[in-house]
Amino acid sequence: MGGISLNYLVRRLLVFFLTLWVAATLIFIIPRLAPGDPISAMVARLSYQAGFVENSDQIIEGWKERFGLNDPVYVQYLRYMGGLLQGDLGYAMARFPSTVTELVGRALPWTIGLVGLATAIFFIVGNLCGALLAWYKTPKLVKVLIPMSMVFTSIPPLLAGLLLAYVFGFLIPLFPLNYSYGFGLQPEFTIEFIANVIHHGFLPAMAIVLVTFGYWALGMRGMMVTIEGEDYMILAQAKGLKPFYVLYRYMIRNAILPQMTALAVTIGTLVNGVVLVEVIFNYNGMGTLIFTAIREQDFGLIQGTSFILIMTSALAVLIIDLSYPLIDPRISLEGR
Amino acid sequence: MSQQLNPHPKSLPQNEGGTSKRDDSPSLLVEEGAGGRGVKDRVVLKVDNLRIHYATPQGDVIAVSDISFNLYEGETLGLVGESGCGKSTTAYGILQLVQPPGYIVHGSIEVDGTEVLNLSEEELRKFRWTGLSLIPQGAMNSLNPTMRVKDQIIDVIESHEGKKRDKEAMRERIFELFQNVGLPNRIYNMYPHELSGGMKQRVCIAMGVALHPTVVIADEATSALDVVVQRIVAQTLIKVKDEIGVSLIVIGHDMGLLAQIVDRIAVMYAGKMVEIAPVENVYANPLHPYTQLLIDSIPSIKERKPLKITEGITHDPRNPPSGCIFRLRCPFAWDHCAEVEPPPINVEEKHVVACHLFDEQFEERRAHAYATTANP
Repeated sequence: MGGISLNYLVRRLLVFFLTLWVAATLIFIIPRLAPGDPISAMVARLSYQAGFVENSDQIIEGWKERFGLNDPVYVQYLRYMGGLLQGDLGYAMARFPSTVTELVGRALPWTIGLVGLATAIFFIVGNLCGALLAWYKTPKLVKVLIPMSMVFTSIPPLLAGLLLAYVFGFLIPLFPLNYSYGFGLQPEFTIEFIANVIHHGFLPAMAIVLVTFGYWALGMRGMMVTIEGEDYMILAQAKGLKPFYVLYRYMIRNAILPQMTALAVTIGTLVNGVVLVEVIFNYNGMGTLIFTAIREQDFGLIQGTSFILIMTSALAVLIIDLSYPLIDPRISLEGR
Repeated sequence: MSQQLNPHPKSLPQNEGGTSKRDDSPSLLVEEGAGGRGVKDRVVLKVDNLRIHYATPQGDVIAVSDISFNLYEGETLGLVGESGCGKSTTAYGILQLVQPPGYIVHGSIEVDGTEVLNLSEEELRKFRWTGLSLIPQGAMNSLNPTMRVKDQIIDVIESHEGKKRDKEAMRERIFELFQNVGLPNRIYNMYPHELSGGMKQRVCIAMGVALHPTVVIADEATSALDVVVQRIVAQTLIKVKDEIGVSLIVIGHDMGLLAQIVDRIAVMYAGKMVEIAPVENVYANPLHPYTQLLIDSIPSIKERKPLKITEGITHDPRNPPSGCIFRLRCPFAWDHCAEVEPPPINVEEKHVVACHLFDEQFEERRAHAYATTANP
């Protein structure tokens, strides 16, 4: 039985923190390569809106002093990294005095819920469809319907979201198109509230599922066909096992392993789709937060949200990596 | 194999002169496992006129062409022939496991009076492993890599006998199976990748006899193993067969190994069964020209001789030649062979050969043919 050695765990965690450090550093450097600085940009925007801002030079100087932008770069860097270690992502400049941590803390759970749910659905539905496509006992009708439903795979999540919002939110208003839960409700653990959250999250989740599950179905089908040619499948047939048992214990169980690897690779790119889908459905998650941050040129918030998204993706990959020995007995992460 | 280590290789088939040592020479080949121990007269498997084709865009390839044979209770039958002659396809046909594009054209397969080809899908599922079980060709890859050894044996038992509540009894039963095939109990909880090739093969044997089937088919069960392990596994197979009292069909191309373990040998060529006889007869007194060449092809340490079996051309399996299937490669073929398909001829007790030379009306020709090979 495969297990995980302390040695491997430590090495893997080091890689995880290295990823975070590189990400944080890049996030720190990139905005500073651009000409100008966020304070001047913001004051310029204010003066554009108001026509004139009194003592704008003093305001800029004062704020630069306040945010430490006059210090040497390495001091800024150390202060920034020190803040990160304490979970302090700085201020959201456009929404001063809200801190980035505070805003992210409110948005992140919703996105994790949405992406987690969508991932679970497209992974299960996609792999199941792929398995059924390859299985010899699947009814003909199902084998025709599944490929037809895959046409959505070729459209971007943005369009799928618009399509769903238009059809099921506007033409046939079955689902709300706003926020993650109804107005006037307090977040609490009641059946009513949870049902409400699912009702609100259904369409955004479906937008992601619709465009993704086809890839998984095709990948799974390919793996299933390979497995069908294996020697142990002939023996399984000769043993007179029940067909359904053979399907899940012999075929799916073996075909799913490369799919898990693919999932770990895909998690990072999933975020791309989520940002736009959240914006379309006005869902109060990280996607909408990033979108408004970019629109408001709120550098602090952009940096903070990017970092948090990278961290969550890296964490998800870490979890999948560490769970390999559990799903494939041939993989052992024990040191030698 | 043992005879290669034997300092006095009496047991080597010495038929350099074709059939120079026909009849009364006692078999020196058989050390054990053969000789009809425990073989009864009752027929447990009756294959009649079985024909299997593989469909290809250029037409059907005839893999098995109208073969018939009986397997008796407690008997071990060897099925030999070169690669592609249809011996594995025959086995898979009997097991109803012919994979597309292969299909059974016609024939009858009776196991203990049950016609296998008439069973419904669910009946066939239940019949499998209790009536006919398989010890597969590639034991290396024949176990599910993500299941523990015990679970793969338990699943076959439970899918035929229903869910068992008594886990302790199941454990004991599997340990008993392990003991039969000489496996240590510690592999109970292991995964296939943790076992050696020989151990995997033993797991397959243990699994194959778990439900005490009527007939066990071992398809090249030892081909992937080295000679030492091969011999041990073959002996295990025979030991288990005798203890449990099943009938066994062993498919292989290793004539030396088969001689050690089988009672009767059936020789196949291009989908036809050309000769079937007790093992002593086949080695000491091979009748069909193909069998002679096959026996002759067994490497000898006494002399280095050229391989004669590759002479002549092989036919297109989609368009077999008229008459005898072997005539294009047969050193004794004459025009009659192209006209009439040789019927099975019962030469002596239990020794059947499909060759015109053994038709009584061609007595002279036979004497002449064998005289020429005896003194080249």
